[in-house]
Amino acid sequence: MVRLPYVTALTTLFSYGLLFAFGQLRDFFRRILDARKPSNLKGYAPICLGLEDFYTRRLYLRIQDCFGRPITSAPDAWFDVVERYSNDCNKTLHRTTATTKCLNLGSYNYLGFAAADEYCTPRVIESLKKYSASTCSVRADGGNTKLHTELELLVATFVGKPAAILFGMGYVTNSAIIPALVGKGGLIISDSLNHNSIVNGARGSGATVRVFQHNNPAHLEEVLREQIAGGQPRTHRPWKKIIVIVEGIYSMEGELCKLPEVISVCKKYKAYTYLDEAHSIGAIGKTGRGVCELLGVDPADVDIMMGTFTKSFGSCGGYIAASNEIIHHLKLTCPAHIYATSMSPPAVQQVISAIKVILGEDGTNRGAKKLAQIRENSNFFRLELQKMGFEVLGDNDSPVMPIMLYNPAKIPAFSRECLRQNVAVVTVAFPATPLLLARARICISASHSREDLIKGLEVISKVGDLVGIKYFPVEQEKTTAVEKLKKIQ
Amino acid sequence: MGRRGEPYYVEAAPPVDVNKNTEWFMYPGVWTTYILLLFFVWLLVLSVSGCSPGAAWTVVNLAHFAITYHFFHWKKGTPFAADDQGIYSRLTWWEQIDNGQQLTRNRKFLTVVPVVLYLIASHLTDYKQPMFFLNTIAVFVLVVAKLPNMHKVRIFGINADI
Repeated sequence: MVRLPYVTALTTLFSYGLLFAFGQLRDFFRRILDARKPSNLKGYAPICLGLEDFYTRRLYLRIQDCFGRPITSAPDAWFDVVERYSNDCNKTLHRTTATTKCLNLGSYNYLGFAAADEYCTPRVIESLKKYSASTCSVRADGGNTKLHTELELLVATFVGKPAAILFGMGYVTNSAIIPALVGKGGLIISDSLNHNSIVNGARGSGATVRVFQHNNPAHLEEVLREQIAGGQPRTHRPWKKIIVIVEGIYSMEGELCKLPEVISVCKKYKAYTYLDEAHSIGAIGKTGRGVCELLGVDPADVDIMMGTFTKSFGSCGGYIAASNEIIHHLKLTCPAHIYATSMSPPAVQQVISAIKVILGEDGTNRGAKKLAQIRENSNFFRLELQKMGFEVLGDNDSPVMPIMLYNPAKIPAFSRECLRQNVAVVTVAFPATPLLLARARICISASHSREDLIKGLEVISKVGDLVGIKYFPVEQEKTTAVEKLKKIQ
Repeated sequence: MGRRGEPYYVEAAPPVDVNKNTEWFMYPGVWTTYILLLFFVWLLVLSVSGCSPGAAWTVVNLAHFAITYHFFHWKKGTPFAADDQGIYSRLTWWEQIDNGQQLTRNRKFLTVVPVVLYLIASHLTDYKQPMFFLNTIAVFVLVVAKLPNMHKVRIFGINADI
């Protein structure tokens, strides 16, 4: 739920209308001017038909320099961004050899494992020499090493479930598991803001998909009741299986899921729950065990817990943790396990070392310090931004904080101006977010020091004033009004 | 509380529409933007051409007819290579909104707008001939295109799939 000034809503809609109108006008003239050129299709059908690539050509390409910026160092708290230039209004970008050192406010580097770490990196290099960069084989065949079994056990105990299974890619974990769990005749109820991988997996499964309003357990109950009463479409037979899919932290909102309420609703109607902890595992909770620990939910109440190693553990890949029977079933049926190359051994070692650091098993308390640091950093940053008058989404303790921009023109303005002042931020627009709600998403890391955060705040405040995104009244005004009253008295 | 000059805030709950092409229509401020846009275009036409107000409304009505017919009832699919795997590639925008449900508030609003434009334009031109005929065609085509019975109907195969 975001609150925006009404005038901002009107101007944002008008801006998008204007951009759309200009895009159509340009397309119209392009069609006229190209009518004389001979078509080089040679009888083949065109790749994009009609309006399909309109958004990419006329809206995205105009501000292409704000997205996908190449970097030349590890994505630590400070990193080197390659400078690019364009000769044709951003249709093509050319890299230069110059780089700028920028503050990194965009990487999902929650615990600071993205750059070289004193415990993890030597062990990763050792495992690279011992096991080589890739197993070149599937888990079921020759790709199962000692490291993989060790990590599966470690992940299972870390998360609090009996067993776990690993996959080489986080996106694939969702999109290949959901079809293995539910098929035709089943029902998937997913949160309206779920990640694309879940949507893809749900569509690929063949089950009926229904959506409930984001983070609204009352609406979830309504949808469940309606669907259970109605049964399968057309035949009205009872559903074979109902799975409710929610995420721990929603990456575009920074919000935590209302997990206790969702679990109680699901238990009442005997639906299974699937929790995607891509952003919350390792980043929140007192010992880093994710949203279950933070909200006090027993992991045994969630049927399937999914997570990725890309965000907090500085590696790649994903995992599913569930009961022994479910994991055994997945090992026999999931194509991502039977046919896909297993996780690269150095990557597995990185996760093992990272989890050992978090648990304190490396002999130091760096893990606990990192967890405390990221919590402090996130709360400090969020509080300061809100005091300055920005509209910041997300709950306390969540390291993801989107700053609302709304207007499409403010997206490149904010992004470019911040880069000029050596702060790299990630901006997100339609269609990854709803049309009106474009935002700049800040991800805080445990490797950001207090000075880094203060510098980031200064730059964002200056740029925010320039661009005009301080939609809420600044709190200072209230205190000066109170002081004036006191003076009168 | 409520000092003058304080902006008026609205709440924007993310709508439950999965079709990114149409979900923008469920946000607050869309209807107002539409009406304000029509009004400003009328002012623009009036100031640039210096014709009578009725003729300006006729121009707005006919331009509105052309543009909305093209974008709501002619163009099919979505303007981005969406991950929806092309399930909307045979549906016009009008058939996509509100998930295909008929007679919702948005649809009723969009059906009323051409009728109101028609009434204003015909009244201000005193129902005189060439303008009246053109305005009537515009409103007739637009309202018929928006009727629930015309959902997914392609008359004589016009604009049917490739």
